[in-house]
Amino acid sequence: MPRVWLWLALALPGLAVGSEAHVHPTPTVLAPGYFDLDFAPPTVGSYVLPTVRGAVDGQVLDESGKPRMLHEFLGDKVVVLSFIFTTCSDVNGCPLASYVLKRVQDRVLEIPALADSVRLVSLSFDEIYDTPTVMAAYGKRLRAQGFDWVFLAPRSQETLAPVLAGYDQWVQRDVDADGKPLASFSHILRVLLIDRAKRVRNVYSVSYLHADTVLNDVRTVLAD
Amino acid sequence: MNMRIAAVVGLIVCLAFAVRVSADETCMSPYMAKIVGQEDFVYVWTLGVEGLGDGQDKLVTVDVNPKSATYGTVVHSLSVGGRNEAHHSGLTDDRRFLWASGLDTSRIFIFDIHTDPAQPRLARTIDDFAAKSGGVVGPHTSYALAGRMMLTGLSNNRDHGGRTAMVEYTNDGDYIATHWMPTDDDLRGAVKSGSFADGYGYDVRALPRRNVMVTSSFTGWNNYMRNLGELMADAEAMKRFGNTVVVWDLHARTPKKILDVPGAPLELRCAWGAKNNYCFTSTALTSKIWLIYEDDAGEWQAKAVADIADASKIPLPVDISIAADDDYLWVDTWNDGTVRLFDIRDPHAPKQALEQKIGEQLNMVSQSWDGKRVYFTSSLLANWDKTASTGGDVQYFKLYGWDGKALEHRFSIDFVKAKLGLPHQMRFGAYALYGKTKPATVAQN
Repeated sequence: MPRVWLWLALALPGLAVGSEAHVHPTPTVLAPGYFDLDFAPPTVGSYVLPTVRGAVDGQVLDESGKPRMLHEFLGDKVVVLSFIFTTCSDVNGCPLASYVLKRVQDRVLEIPALADSVRLVSLSFDEIYDTPTVMAAYGKRLRAQGFDWVFLAPRSQETLAPVLAGYDQWVQRDVDADGKPLASFSHILRVLLIDRAKRVRNVYSVSYLHADTVLNDVRTVLAD
Repeated sequence: MNMRIAAVVGLIVCLAFAVRVSADETCMSPYMAKIVGQEDFVYVWTLGVEGLGDGQDKLVTVDVNPKSATYGTVVHSLSVGGRNEAHHSGLTDDRRFLWASGLDTSRIFIFDIHTDPAQPRLARTIDDFAAKSGGVVGPHTSYALAGRMMLTGLSNNRDHGGRTAMVEYTNDGDYIATHWMPTDDDLRGAVKSGSFADGYGYDVRALPRRNVMVTSSFTGWNNYMRNLGELMADAEAMKRFGNTVVVWDLHARTPKKILDVPGAPLELRCAWGAKNNYCFTSTALTSKIWLIYEDDAGEWQAKAVADIADASKIPLPVDISIAADDDYLWVDTWNDGTVRLFDIRDPHAPKQALEQKIGEQLNMVSQSWDGKRVYFTSSLLANWDKTASTGGDVQYFKLYGWDGKALEHRFSIDFVKAKLGLPHQMRFGAYALYGKTKPATVAQN
């Protein structure tokens, strides 16, 4: 079975940790990030990634439930930051982001020189359903033994809002016909590359997110 | 996603990607959320005219939902305090903000259209475009990339000629970088494949899956701010129009290949099909449709594939709009106020299928995702537009229905009679993009 279909068959149902049914229709066309890259990416270091914005700080919860600041996870390594919610079953939404990050993890593991220079961070914006326990369970399915991939939960809606605004991550919790909050969100997929000076150096969305591209950017930023 | 939203929008971009996206809904960036059902509003970026209403540039909101009590009327108008040569506009990838720029003053107005889609408000004005960009003036296309806006320039503040650049901003309106067009003096690593490397700019589009960005070329401030009759009588000035399309490395933002496309190639529209690696443009001065395509060897090429009307009569092709299924292309010609439909199922040999006069002049065309609604506006440039003496149908916003065979007129708004100004670029809005529903009563200004 091709890699991508194996991922979708095995990972998607399991990703809905503690969730109720989610009603996003399943798209028929998978994003490019699930397949081999359809072009030769520019050579590492041959291009410039200008600073998009500063990486904002904010309160989060780690997998043990301990309050932490997001900046505790930035600065010492190049970080690939992904905003997700674990109940998302749109294959081209959050599962795509987690799939690509897992592929980045796989590739970094093949390059020992990079292992101490890269951190993956998956931060949920679902303050209702994605508790630290849920994030820990979600992370357990994805993280390779000993790899630096952290799974963070939001502390509250109030502490989450400035983080989302600071990273230009728009999300809208879906509601039912009576206005009752659902477990799903409308949002635009964002994955960000953050350098060791806590600057956002690239932003990826569905049309362009791919492990090869992200990894090239990681190496380009590391060569600054 | 609740059904209310699902009916209209692929806002999680996965849905937008999943559909074979295309028009003004199909002419949008592939990075952007799409309205795939009935749009609620069309936002019309409108040039102010001295002595007409308040005389200011304004964002005009037209209710286009036939289920609305205010269908076919202007429900809101927001003036920006002066005249800037209002021209093009574009939406951010999350579709919360509409960027609209002025070709003369280089001011850029960022409108919040998500807080209340029926009543946009001005969120920010960028007044230092030239200073921040290193001398670029005449911001034209505002094109959504992931979390960013790419603005094309038309000119520069040194000689106000056509040499220019693209300027990249965050969605919030903060400057990121300037990317100069390649010239003979500085090819910036690009291959000059023909006779020209003019460094001019106009439109930009991207094909992310091929890591390609494409730009076209028009003319500088000295020409586009000049009276059209005087300009066309000035043989030297008429030489200063763009003759190039540039293919860029989208990721690296570096130019790769400069293609000769003589005669001022304007709007670029790229195909949406997963294997359709091509874009169309039309040349204003030579009146042709050009195909910009990747050949079997992976090389990007340009070739003229069809004539648009009789070039000797200077029809002046302006806006084009590609259908969501890549089957047809609407082509407006400004001078004769006519739209033509080309069958582009063979992109190398488009065939004209329809020709219909829309008004005394015609500029922009935008179609709904399903292609069933086609919107038109009339204005080109303040100093180029025809006047009321030409006839009574000069400055308008019009909606036509399209059933695959004929255009059926639905409604028109005369922007002069309404004392609004000269209507230019149209962008679509919908409550469902933001998880909203229409209030029981939409307030009118």
